[in-house]
Amino acid sequence: METLAFQGLVGLSLAMYLWLLASGLTIVFGVLGVLNFAHGSLFMLGAYFAFTFYGLWGINFWLAIALSLLAVGVVGYLMERLFLRHIYHLDHAYQLLLTFGFILIFDDAVKIVWGGVAKIPAMPSFFEGTFSVFGRLFPFYNVFIIGSGLLVAVVLWLLFEKTWWGRMVRASASDREMASAIGVNIPTLFTGVFVLGAMLAALGGALGTPVRVVAPGIGAAMIIQAFIITVIGGLGNLKGAFVGAVIVGLLSAYGILLFPVFELFLIFVTMAVVLIVRPKGLFGG
Amino acid sequence: MSESKKISRRAFLKAATAAGIGGITLGFPMTELAAQQKEKATAQAKPKKKVLGVDVIKIGGQGVTSGAHADYGWQILAGSTLAIEEINAKGGVLGSKLEMKFMDEELKPAVAVKNARYLATDWGAHLLFGVDSSGSAMAVGPILPELDRVCMFVHASTHRLTEELVAGKGIKQIFRISVPVYQESILASHIFKEFPNIKRWAGIHCDYEYGYSTWALFKDTLKKYRPDVEFVSIAWAPFWTMDFSPHIAAVMAANPDAIHATPWAGEGVMLLRQALMLGVFDKIQAWFQCMGGSVDLLEGISREVEGGKFKDKLWATARYIHNYPDTPENKKFVADFRKRWNRLPNYSAETAYSTIYVFKAAVEKTRSLKTDDLIKAIEGMEIMTPGGKRLFRPEDHQAVYDVPGGKIVKDPNYPIPIIGDLKVIPAKTYYRYPPFTPIAIGK
Repeated sequence: METLAFQGLVGLSLAMYLWLLASGLTIVFGVLGVLNFAHGSLFMLGAYFAFTFYGLWGINFWLAIALSLLAVGVVGYLMERLFLRHIYHLDHAYQLLLTFGFILIFDDAVKIVWGGVAKIPAMPSFFEGTFSVFGRLFPFYNVFIIGSGLLVAVVLWLLFEKTWWGRMVRASASDREMASAIGVNIPTLFTGVFVLGAMLAALGGALGTPVRVVAPGIGAAMIIQAFIITVIGGLGNLKGAFVGAVIVGLLSAYGILLFPVFELFLIFVTMAVVLIVRPKGLFGG
Repeated sequence: MSESKKISRRAFLKAATAAGIGGITLGFPMTELAAQQKEKATAQAKPKKKVLGVDVIKIGGQGVTSGAHADYGWQILAGSTLAIEEINAKGGVLGSKLEMKFMDEELKPAVAVKNARYLATDWGAHLLFGVDSSGSAMAVGPILPELDRVCMFVHASTHRLTEELVAGKGIKQIFRISVPVYQESILASHIFKEFPNIKRWAGIHCDYEYGYSTWALFKDTLKKYRPDVEFVSIAWAPFWTMDFSPHIAAVMAANPDAIHATPWAGEGVMLLRQALMLGVFDKIQAWFQCMGGSVDLLEGISREVEGGKFKDKLWATARYIHNYPDTPENKKFVADFRKRWNRLPNYSAETAYSTIYVFKAAVEKTRSLKTDDLIKAIEGMEIMTPGGKRLFRPEDHQAVYDVPGGKIVKDPNYPIPIIGDLKVIPAKTYYRYPPFTPIAIGK
């Protein structure tokens, strides 16, 4: 029993990285209607910027995280203003082509700037250490990750439910023309939403740098899971992304413990079952 | 560390361009462009009378140069480049210069096959070497007769490459200069059979050919020496695993005495650091990180080793270790490599470096570039290399040479940890010999 509880805790911290990645993906899809394949690349850029500021230049860890969010925010701003904006009215296939192109460009760009070799920065010393839970040792850093994920969930909920900006976003998500007619500046709003999505991806990437590895291709490796999560939870649904991330995180943790031979299979089967029972996802309308 | 890496990369790029010996391929279109430029350059070169009838001997290499494992490709490239520069500076091989083109195999068998075809047929390589992944090796091996090229495998380590494809199916174009999984499995069993208190083993292994064959051979061998040993849990991690904590937590749930692990390169570093975070080294007696003697891994965990975080419980081996053997050849190689690239060579650098010298010796022996002649020249060849004296067994084309295992420790003579407390066991005693009895492998 304790083994299961501990594995669940490990799965939960896994789920929070996935949630940070999937939240931005689903917000951008829900509001802009764009399935951003390059969302994983923004995650990767977040990790690279955080590595550069913190690992290379020795800037304070928290400031480095904030700066990497800003940097990726700027990248997201440029992506939306210069490229995506022009294809909102086109078929999804064009969005797919454009955003997939961005994956290739970003992957090669980081190889040119940072090289192909994986970067492994040091762990900030204040995160070192473990505490005992369920008779096992659990790292403080994972607690911090779980806390950050939950905090982001609360902040996003407040942002969309309690602020004027959030109401405008929800209004334009449900009826773009009507929102525009009553004076919502749609293009500016869309830029803002895309930048927010980019920064969420960057946060996921940046928070992973002390314990993971920073390398070209990590974005593409993560994005598949983010897609699975949004499919399970319902594309464009924020609550769905959270629940989906928790499901996928726990499934992989328990899969590895209980069914080591077909752990990956388990996640895909779950996705297939959800698609059959609720084709629009658990929370999809 | 990162600063020196940057310099060495920049220096490397500059040198690669200046010396005109291929370059890092950043993607297919650039590769083609480079190939066209190269061909122009070759065409302009003045034709002279050569023993071999060619101005340049073309060598096509492959390794992984992107992702968490990219350092291995870089090391293959750096090692072979160093050898080619040395040989060309002395006039080449029988008057012909060596030229290399190097491609990213991306750890994908289909990409490796495509690269091999491109290198042999389109680019016109006379000799091939490389591939990092065992999966890629098992895909490239079978097409070599059709390509009619020798390929020296410098890293891929599944025993099946030489046991099944060479000794079994008779694909003579395959050679392997690096020690196969005998190293991480059979050598490890020889070391750990001496520890009576370690009875419960767990595995965290790569979810592909390499992990399957290592774990199967390790269990098989150790069980023979130590019937009392149990294998209590196993977790499989596919490429691109970012977080090993579920794997670590899962195997630790079975309370193992020791862990045997294969994830390599950046993934190996992540695995070890995440294991530290989960307090694993407080609970276990030993951790055998199969390819932990590789330079990129040693660099990645240098701080932790210095801080004594692994509590003297971290063991490893490699396919060559920069601090072994203590010979003039090895000292010279390590010194030249450090001078050239500002880093220490890992095993894929040594195997690639030695590969070029094996090719040189073979071409000089047969005075020909014909694949059949080259195969005969390499079969049974004995050659002194930085990694020690190597013998290419004719039966399975596997190079036999000694690499020890030991504990990862800090040494004041080196900037990064080394493998110390060396357990040197002669390769002859732990290599498998034909006729090979197949081992059931799989998850």
